[in-house]
Amino acid sequence: MIRLAWRNLFQNTTQIALGVGGVALALLLMLAIDALLAGSEDDLVAYIEDSGADIFVSQEGVKNMHMASSAITRSDLRLAAQAEGVATVSPILYTTSVVETKEGDVLSYIIGFDPMEPLGGPREIVDGTLEIHNKEIIIDQAVARSQEVALGDVVEIFGEEFTVVGITAGLTNIVNSVSFITLRDFQDLRGDDRNVISYVLVKILPDYSAKSVAAEITARNPDVLALSEAEFSRGERQIIRDMSVEVLNIMNVSGFLIGLAVTALTLYSNTLHKRSEYGVLKAIGAKNIHLYTVVVAQAFISLMIGTVVAIGFILLLGQLLPALVPGVAVTLTASGLLRVFAASLIIGGLSALVPAFQIARLDPAEVFRG
Amino acid sequence: MNMQSVVSVEKVVRRFGSGTTEVVAVKDISLEVVPGEVVLIMGPSGSGKTTLLSMLGGLLRPSEGRIQIGEDDLTLMDESQLPNIRLQHIGFIFQDFNLLSALTTLDNVALVAQLTGISRKESRKKAKVLLEQLGLGQRLDFLPHKLSGGEKQRVAIARALVNKPDMILADEPTANLDSHHGRETMRLLREVAKQEKRSVVIVSHDERIKEIADRVLWLEDGEFKDMVEMAVDPVCGMSIDILHAPATADFEGTKYYFCANGCRHEFLAAPNSFLQVDHE
Ligand SMILES: Nc1ncnc2c1ncn2[C@@H]1O[C@H](COP(=O)(O)OP(=O)(O)O)[C@@H](O)[C@H]1O
Ligand SMILES: [Mg+2]
Repeated sequence: MIRLAWRNLFQNTTQIALGVGGVALALLLMLAIDALLAGSEDDLVAYIEDSGADIFVSQEGVKNMHMASSAITRSDLRLAAQAEGVATVSPILYTTSVVETKEGDVLSYIIGFDPMEPLGGPREIVDGTLEIHNKEIIIDQAVARSQEVALGDVVEIFGEEFTVVGITAGLTNIVNSVSFITLRDFQDLRGDDRNVISYVLVKILPDYSAKSVAAEITARNPDVLALSEAEFSRGERQIIRDMSVEVLNIMNVSGFLIGLAVTALTLYSNTLHKRSEYGVLKAIGAKNIHLYTVVVAQAFISLMIGTVVAIGFILLLGQLLPALVPGVAVTLTASGLLRVFAASLIIGGLSALVPAFQIARLDPAEVFRG
Repeated sequence: MNMQSVVSVEKVVRRFGSGTTEVVAVKDISLEVVPGEVVLIMGPSGSGKTTLLSMLGGLLRPSEGRIQIGEDDLTLMDESQLPNIRLQHIGFIFQDFNLLSALTTLDNVALVAQLTGISRKESRKKAKVLLEQLGLGQRLDFLPHKLSGGEKQRVAIARALVNKPDMILADEPTANLDSHHGRETMRLLREVAKQEKRSVVIVSHDERIKEIADRVLWLEDGEFKDMVEMAVDPVCGMSIDILHAPATADFEGTKYYFCANGCRHEFLAAPNSFLQVDHE
């Protein structure tokens, strides 16, 4: 029966192409936005996850960086350093601002870090130097390329000029980029009290867990919140998810409905087309259950192929898109895949209902009536 | 099943509709077909042939009477049991061949064997043996649209035979075949039926099937009547009741019967061209 389903499907190549194409497109809708968002999530937390810190200490109540403002003091930093299991503490200043270039403006996290401290600055560069002095800046490759900025060129932040001395990679996402200057310059730009910092990046000693050390830091000082790197980056990811949940839902619902409509329609017309053949099978002695097997198998075969095509397309997109559009990444997520498989199952079950009804109503005696 | 079963129809009546619109399609028919016997049922259109055949095939229930295949009484059976009876005990052959267009010759036959629950491998083996026996060994992987009409009907015969049914039912099996292939195909059907002792009931208008039938029955108004003497119109091939022939003609000492004056005129214009066709 499965064989019959398979043959029925592939008998008409136009129909299978339309059916599978439609399903793939629908599933693609469900997958693509998800994959794009997942990709941007990965990029968005790249600074946090690549920073080398085990714990991020922020102002009490602040759980992430994006769109957040955290202000703590040097004494908070010293308190954190005294917690058991802490190896090093490194301060950073952070804000989101515009980097002005000759070509135009780029939105960027501005990180002010102390080159003498172990953490806070970029971990790797692809060009130039990690050693940064006053009035110097390290920017990301994606910005350097799109704005045609090279080492030695000058860019502006808050009206002050900075010379590009280093280029990082992988720190630009669809929302913004990350740029590094010295903590000193940052303080001067703001005219802030030297005592104020944004976050403390903590490295812990071996054999300590980030979670318990973070709890210890928070317990010692009610003015701060210490989170493990994992929790902190989860908080950052959550921001993107919260912003995109509506879009995601619309895409999921429309993808599901289109997939259902396409599958149900092709299956319905195929069954209608094969009506007399199913009638013959019934007359010969096939039971309804045999024929249901055929239509259900047809539904699932075309959905399976559609799913594979959709996933293949996403993977291809993952290879091509970042090369074409800087700062865009595509990541296939387990939850996205799960959702698409679940949707396929439901679509398959639902779309086989009408044909099953068509078949159940077929009177086998009709075969002799032409 | 080793012992082949007798098919018996006892006082069967089939009515359609009720009250003033009631039609009695089959009136009090009794019939017995023994294993290996080929019965041809003829009769005018609307005489109840298809209705009778459908009841024999377990596709339609009689209003009255009994239909038995060996020990199995079709009329006492539950609706859910009938598919199995059809699958195991009855083989169907249709006017339009009705093969599954997406499946190859081999799969068309094997699928029906597989419906009985035997493995795919065994089904294909059975189907292959049968198809080779019917001279289709070179056509196993062909799709129906690549086959000639005669080949299609032979595949349909293989499909009808694959589960070793007690009875084979054929409705106008030669209607879509030319006379040569029609006769060949029916001869083949008779041969296998005889070899394996299967009862065959054929419904047809086709006079040429008469020669392969053991018994010819004439159905009219839902009842079996005495066989009227029939002749074939040499021009159009229709069966003509010689007592009520619309037109006749004598040619070289033989009397010919026609369905209408038109055919008679055509015949008289060039008699030899029509008389040679059948003896080529
Ligand atoms: N399903 C049905 N409903 C009503 N009348 C029917 C039905 N099937 C057959 N009949 C009637 O029964 C009579 C016999 O029909 P049928 O068995 O098809 O004859 P044949 O096959 O000899 O042409 C006809 O008068 C036909 O109209
Ligand atoms: Mg008929």
